[in-house]
Amino acid sequence: MGFFDKLAKWLGLKKKDANVIVVGLDNSGKTTIINHLKPKETKSHDIVPTIGFTVEKFTSSALSITAFDMSGQGRYRNLWEHYYTECQGIIFVIDSSDKLRMVVAKEELDQLLNHPKITNRRIPVLFFANKMDVREAISSVKVSSLLQLEQIENMKNKPWHICASNALTGEGLMEGVEWISDQLRDIIDGGK
Amino acid sequence: MHMLRRDKKEEEEGGGNPFHNLEKSVVLQETRLFNETPINPKKCGHILTKLLYLINQGESIGTTEATEAFFAMTKLFQAKDPVLRRLVYLGIKEMSKIANDVIIVTSSLMKDMTGKDDQFRGPAIRALCSITDNTMLQSIERYMKQAIVDKNHAVSSAALVSSLHLSKGSQDVIKRWVNEAQEAVSSDNIMVQYHALGLLYHIRKYDRLAVTKLVSKFSKHSLKSPYAYCLLIRIASKLMEEEGAGTDSPMFDFIENCLRHKSEIVIYEAAHAIVNLKNTTAKELSSAVPVLQLFCSSPKPTLRFAAIRTLNKVAMKHPSVVSSCNLELENLITDTNRSIATLAITTLLKTGSESSVDRLMKQISSFMNEISDEFKIVVVQAIQSLCLKFPRKHNVLMNFLSSMLRDEGGFDYKKAIVESVITIIEENPEAKEAGLGHLCEFIEDCEHTVLATKILHLLGREGPRTPTPSKYIRFIYNRVILENAAVRAAAVTALAKFGAHCEELLPSCSVLLERCLLDTDDEVRDRATFYVDVLKQKQKALNSAYILNGLQVSVVGLERALHNYTLEPSEAPFDLKTVPLDTQPVSEQKVREPGDSVSKATDKVVASTQDIYAERLAAVPEFSNLGSLFKSSSLPVELTESETEYMVQCVKHCFGRYMVFQFDCTNTLNDQVLENVTVHMDPAEGFDVMKYVQCPSLPYNKPGTTYTMVRLPEDPTQVTGTFSCTLKFIVKDCDPNTGEADDDGYEDEYVLEDVEVTVADHVQRVIKPNFGGAWEEIGPENELEDTFALSTVKSLEEAVKNIIQFMGMQPCERSDKVQEGKSSHSLFLSGVYRGGHDALVRAKLAMSDSGVTMQLTVRSTDPYVSEVLVTAIG
Ligand SMILES: Nc1nc2c(ncn2[C@@H]2O[C@H](COP(=O)(O)OP(=O)(O)OP(=O)(O)O)[C@@H](O)[C@H]2O)c(=O)[nH]1
Ligand SMILES: [Mg+2]
Repeated sequence: MGFFDKLAKWLGLKKKDANVIVVGLDNSGKTTIINHLKPKETKSHDIVPTIGFTVEKFTSSALSITAFDMSGQGRYRNLWEHYYTECQGIIFVIDSSDKLRMVVAKEELDQLLNHPKITNRRIPVLFFANKMDVREAISSVKVSSLLQLEQIENMKNKPWHICASNALTGEGLMEGVEWISDQLRDIIDGGK
Repeated sequence: MHMLRRDKKEEEEGGGNPFHNLEKSVVLQETRLFNETPINPKKCGHILTKLLYLINQGESIGTTEATEAFFAMTKLFQAKDPVLRRLVYLGIKEMSKIANDVIIVTSSLMKDMTGKDDQFRGPAIRALCSITDNTMLQSIERYMKQAIVDKNHAVSSAALVSSLHLSKGSQDVIKRWVNEAQEAVSSDNIMVQYHALGLLYHIRKYDRLAVTKLVSKFSKHSLKSPYAYCLLIRIASKLMEEEGAGTDSPMFDFIENCLRHKSEIVIYEAAHAIVNLKNTTAKELSSAVPVLQLFCSSPKPTLRFAAIRTLNKVAMKHPSVVSSCNLELENLITDTNRSIATLAITTLLKTGSESSVDRLMKQISSFMNEISDEFKIVVVQAIQSLCLKFPRKHNVLMNFLSSMLRDEGGFDYKKAIVESVITIIEENPEAKEAGLGHLCEFIEDCEHTVLATKILHLLGREGPRTPTPSKYIRFIYNRVILENAAVRAAAVTALAKFGAHCEELLPSCSVLLERCLLDTDDEVRDRATFYVDVLKQKQKALNSAYILNGLQVSVVGLERALHNYTLEPSEAPFDLKTVPLDTQPVSEQKVREPGDSVSKATDKVVASTQDIYAERLAAVPEFSNLGSLFKSSSLPVELTESETEYMVQCVKHCFGRYMVFQFDCTNTLNDQVLENVTVHMDPAEGFDVMKYVQCPSLPYNKPGTTYTMVRLPEDPTQVTGTFSCTLKFIVKDCDPNTGEADDDGYEDEYVLEDVEVTVADHVQRVIKPNFGGAWEEIGPENELEDTFALSTVKSLEEAVKNIIQFMGMQPCERSDKVQEGKSSHSLFLSGVYRGGHDALVRAKLAMSDSGVTMQLTVRSTDPYVSEVLVTAIG
């Protein structure tokens, strides 16, 4: 712990912690997004498909966030649920240039939201319509209509938000992160 | 007072172990705490330690529970606490085999192994390799290669050792890491160098040439690591062993040079290797012995222990080596380290003179109680070899053994003693009565069923033939009254043997057996009923066949035959003659080396080589109607010189009326594929070749089999002959790298050595535990007798050896052992001839000036068999 962290803690300024789970199909850019958000010295230069998961930490202006970056490959998706209980927020990443698999993404999303460990809890869901820089990429509006995000409205307990993003440059990421950390802080403070 | 006592007891049980009372279900419940955020590293670390403790205690955890605990544990990756993280690595390794979906931590571990925190990198590699299977190996390959050549020694070592473990699953991938391993061998860290050499050797170990190069390269370019040197010495001595190399080999020079190394561990390893080499003579030993001698008087107990243990092992092979260290050994007798003292004494016992036995035995009994079972067994084995060496000392030694039998000790220790006593009895007829007496006493209070039944079996076999058989009856009958069913059954069988062999004991044995007719156990009752009935008939032949000598079939074979019989029920009764016989391992009656594992192997019913052959032949449709396999020749005969283009071995399989020759062929040319391979046989007179079963394809270095089936001559006395053989095939040239063959080939052939069919091929070795009984049982009806002068034979031992080999029969009553200094000897052989005819041979041998004369008497249930056997030697 550095001096300023200690000082901050002493002054009662330490940021609150929150757990989020980062899911979405393989190759959608989850790891790249998290990598961009991480502090400089822990950034990795060599991103390979995730096998299983890794835990990463980053901070927003309000929170210190622990993210479980899950593997999106088909055969590992059934392992996501082991990490549902502790997660307070969900980041769902979509490759907006991968129109072909939009239906698969929708299917996974439905399963996620209807999972017993998720469905009855108040959990904010942040969507990144990633790879907006790719030429064939579709807009975030088109993505939300393809995923029928408006239906989430009916669930009441799942505030959601979608951002178009480019994980390579970081464009759009901060907006999303600030949104979800505001949501999370409300939940954490409200739960007190 | 009461409280105090209880505390003390608890202390004894727990031994101050805080984890002593752990409950599995409670600990598993506690692992749920891992799911809570924020993580409490101290608490979680403690729980994880408990879990690890349980697993290490051998506690078994179900897959579901283990998986749940495992996933909970993965959440601990959030915490950066180094102690907790390292516990997690351990947890992953321990649970990798019991939980499902353990690959979930792959990326997390890869992150740690490539991360900045050095203390995590090595352990992460080890954990990663424990969860990685062949299918996943590709994805970590790049990182493993990098880690092997990492600057950090701990990382490099971890990667090298983990690669070794991985190679158990997939040799192929690891092979691609050879360049990295090579680079790591030149590391200046001693551990890395050692581990790298280990991996390098492992990658190449099936390629002898490469291994030879490896040794010669590294023996010159001096290694820094003493451990690597030790490994290199081991590799070199293994190579020498495989090649049968002598001391002119450069390998030997290398090992000998290591005797002058500056590190003690290397010096020891070299000396150890030299005295253990197969072909060492006094000359080579002379360099190694002074080293061991010096170590024997080293102030370091480890060196003393290592040296004395090595000497102890080779004491029988190289007595001279040991005697040159006598002075040092005598000093070690009183070593405060009891393990060293035990080894010193037993070494001296093995090599010392008869006069020193009493003194040494006294010395050792002074601390027998202080040493562990493991070393007690060393003592037992030393005593056994002493007994065989100094038969006259058997009284002192037997008494010692029997007092050991009465002492406390575990099963292995007791078993070693019992086996030693049995070996001594078998080797030395004079020790028989005393030995049986001690064993009788032992079974009066023996908690090990296995040992009790073993001894009862021995009593049944040997007891009736002692001068006073009656004295054993009481001990045996006591078992019937006091013991569990298995022991009772064995006792009943032993009793029946006394009744069958000793007429004067028959009435009392029958009475005792009748008392068992109402036993509560089925087996005991059945045996008693059977024996009582057989004994009532008062017929020697029945006694011999059903009580004294018993079944001769192979248990595995009997099981299979009965199973087949129930699958295809027929009106005809089950014919025991169709069951393959129990083949006697050739070494059965040889002197057992102390500590030999022969006895272990025979404890279980195992499929013999012949059972395996039978199964393989049964799978060939062409042989489906040959009936059951009677005998397979034990060792394959080489029909080619070594290192020729093709290698062919022959095994002969004898059926009722046919013989199948199995040719195992290997093609050693990498630019050829052979197809339609057969072996043509030019039959001896009376034999007819009936069928060839070809080997369709014989690619480079992949052994294949072809069969030739021959009908035996009609004349029952014509059973031997010589067959000339030719390998015939179609050759196709092929690309040595891909193995892809041309479309066209041409016919070719290759002349092989002749195959001999001898009398022994028609006879199966079968032991008759009571030869006399069996001799009476068959009777003189088909007896034939002849006298021979064996002029080329120079000793009785040689005559015995030759006859056994010629006849292919089993020596009984230990008659294959000629007592020293005798000028005459009787050899008893038994066997079963093709067709299921019992055959017995008695050969009376006498030394004369012109060699050995032999009177050969053959009895058999078939007249032709007697004829064949008498003419076998001629
Ligand atoms: N052009 C473009 N490429 C991106 C973007 N985000 C990620 N990528 C690339 O997409 C590929 C996959 O990115 P990852 O972060 O490994 O994807 P993932 O979702 O973590 O995949 P899994 O771990 O297999 O589930 C990489 O080659 C990234 O460089 C983006 O915004 N634009
Ligand atoms: Mg990823």
